[in-house]
Amino acid sequence: MRRWPAIKRYMLRHPGVARLGVVIVLFVIWEIAARWFIDPLFMSPPSSVLVSLPQMFEISGVPGALRITFWELAVAFAMSVAIGLAVGLAVGLQPFSRRSFMPIVLLLYGTPQVTILPLFILFFGIGPASKIAFGVSHGIFPIIVTIVAGVQNLKPILLTSAKSMGANRWQAFRYVIFPHMIPSFFTGMRLGMTGVLLGVLLAELYVSTAGIGYFTTLFTQNFEPDNLLGLIATLAAMAIILNELVRRAENHFARWRD
Amino acid sequence: MTGEVAIRVRDVSHHFGEEDDARHVRALLDTSIDVARGELLCLIGPSGCGKSTLLNVVGGLLEPTTGTVEVAGKPVRGPMPADIAYVFQENALFPWNTVFENVMLGMLFQGVPKAERDDRARRSLEAVGLAEFSDHYPAQLSGGMRQRAALARALSLETGILLMDEPFGALDEQTRMILGEDLSVLLSRTDKAIVFVTHSLGEAVFLADRVAVFSARPGTIKQVISVDEPHPRNPEFVTSAKFTALRNQLYSLLHDEIRKAMSESAMRGGAGHRGSVAGDSA
Ligand SMILES: Nc1ncnc2c1ncn2[C@@H]1O[C@H](COP(=O)(O)OP(=O)(O)O)[C@@H](O)[C@H]1O
Ligand SMILES: [Mg+2]
Repeated sequence: MRRWPAIKRYMLRHPGVARLGVVIVLFVIWEIAARWFIDPLFMSPPSSVLVSLPQMFEISGVPGALRITFWELAVAFAMSVAIGLAVGLAVGLQPFSRRSFMPIVLLLYGTPQVTILPLFILFFGIGPASKIAFGVSHGIFPIIVTIVAGVQNLKPILLTSAKSMGANRWQAFRYVIFPHMIPSFFTGMRLGMTGVLLGVLLAELYVSTAGIGYFTTLFTQNFEPDNLLGLIATLAAMAIILNELVRRAENHFARWRD
Repeated sequence: MTGEVAIRVRDVSHHFGEEDDARHVRALLDTSIDVARGELLCLIGPSGCGKSTLLNVVGGLLEPTTGTVEVAGKPVRGPMPADIAYVFQENALFPWNTVFENVMLGMLFQGVPKAERDDRARRSLEAVGLAEFSDHYPAQLSGGMRQRAALARALSLETGILLMDEPFGALDEQTRMILGEDLSVLLSRTDKAIVFVTHSLGEAVFLADRVAVFSARPGTIKQVISVDEPHPRNPEFVTSAKFTALRNQLYSLLHDEIRKAMSESAMRGGAGHRGSVAGDSA
C-alpha cells in the first residue's frame, strides 16, 4: 500500500512507461480475442503474426512489393516536399499571389481526391506512376498550406533589418525566411507524409499488379490473416519510421524555441 | 564636434500612398538638416510626425517623394550597409540565432571577411557588456539585454553612421536610464554620426549634442536646440540646472505641437469614418 505513491510519482516522471503499458495491454487483448473469440480465418493473434513474419517475407514477390511501395512512398514524399515548398513560397511570399491563388489551393485541398482516383489510373497507368502521382496529390496540399501560413507571419522588421545590413535576396531567404518557416515546414512535412501514405496506399489497394496492394488482395481472398496482418504491420512500421525521422529532424531544428 | 558633414538632408518630403487616395499621408514636409561626424542628433516630436520616416529616408529604406539625402558624400538610393547601421525600436534580432550568431550574421550580410568577424563580434559584445550572454537566444534575454545585443550588432558593422529609432522605447525607466548612460560612454569613444529618435525629453537632453524638435504632421523640423556638454556625460548632469532648463525649453516647444497633433488626429478620425461609410455604400 505504502508503495503506491512512489509508483505514481515514477509514472508521472516517465510518461513513456504508461504509453508502453497501454500498447502492451492492447496487444494482450488482441491476443486473447484472436485465440479464443474470433474465427481464425479472419484474425490471427499477434504472436502467430510475429512467428510467421519471416515466412511471409519468403513468399515470392513480397519483398519486391514492399520495396516498390517504399520506393513509391519515398518518391511521392520527395516530390511533394519539393513541389509543395516551391509552390508554397511562390504563393505565400507575395500578398498578390497569396490573395489570387490561395483560394484555389484551399479548394483543391478540401476536395476528396478519391473521387478522381480512376482518372489518375487512366492518365498514369496501373504501375508505380499512378501511385506516386496520387500520393503527391495528397501530400502536396498540406505542405503548401502550412508554408504559406508560415511565411505569412514573419515579422517584417526582420527582413527590413537584414536588408539594412546588406543582405541580398538569397541571404534574406537563407537566413531569415527559411529559418522562420522551418517549424511550419516540418509540420507540413509530417502532414504531407500522412497524406502521401494515404494516397499511395489507396492507389495501391485500388489497383495493383506488383505492389503491396496486390498481396493484400491476395491474402484477403485466400483467408491468410497471418500474412495479411504481417504485411499491414510492416507498412505501419514503415510509416512510424518515416514519421519519426521527420520528428527527430524537427526537434533538432527547433531548439531555439525553448 | 563640428567635424565634416556626415549626413546632408535637403528639402526632403515624403508622402505615403497616392495623391488622391483616402489613405494618402503627408508624413514629412520640406525638411533639411546636417549631421556632423561625431555628433549625436536627437529627433523628438509628437507621435506620427514623421521621425521614423525621416530616419528611414536617411537610411535608404524609404525613397523620399522629393528632396535629396547624401551620406558620406554619396546620394542615398537604397540601404548603404557599409556606411549606415540601424538599431530598431522593435526587437529585430533573429530569434533562431544566438546573440553571437546575430552579430556574426550582420557582418556576413555586410560582407566583412570571415577571418575578422569572430574578433569583431567578441569586441562589440564586450563593449555593450553582453559577452557572457553570447550563446543565449534572444528569447532568453530581458528587453534591455536584447537592445544591447542589437546595439552590439550595429557597432560590429563599424559604420560611420548609426540610426536609432526609439531603441529604448519599449524599456522601463530604470533600464533606459542605465542604457542611456552606457551609450553616452560608448559614443564618446567613437566619431560616428548618430541620429537618435526618442519620445523622452530627458533622454534627448542627456544624449544629444543637438535636439531637433518636430512640428505636428505634416512633420518638419521646427527648431534645433544645442546641448553644450561634453561626452561621456555623467549621471550628475541630469540633476544640473542646465539640464533642467533645456528640458523645460524642449517641453514648452513640444507641448503645443502635441496638442496640435492630437486635435488634428481627432478630426482626421472623424473624416476617415465618413470616408469609409461612403466607400461602403459605393
Ligand atoms: N507605411 C506607411 N503607410 C502609410 N502611412 C504611413 C506608413 N508609415 C507611416 N505612416 C504614417 O506617416 C506618419 C508618420 O509616421 P512615422 O514617421 O512613423 O511617425 P513617428 O514620428 O511616430 O515615427 C504617420 O501618420 C503614419 O501613420
Ligand atoms: Mg516612429
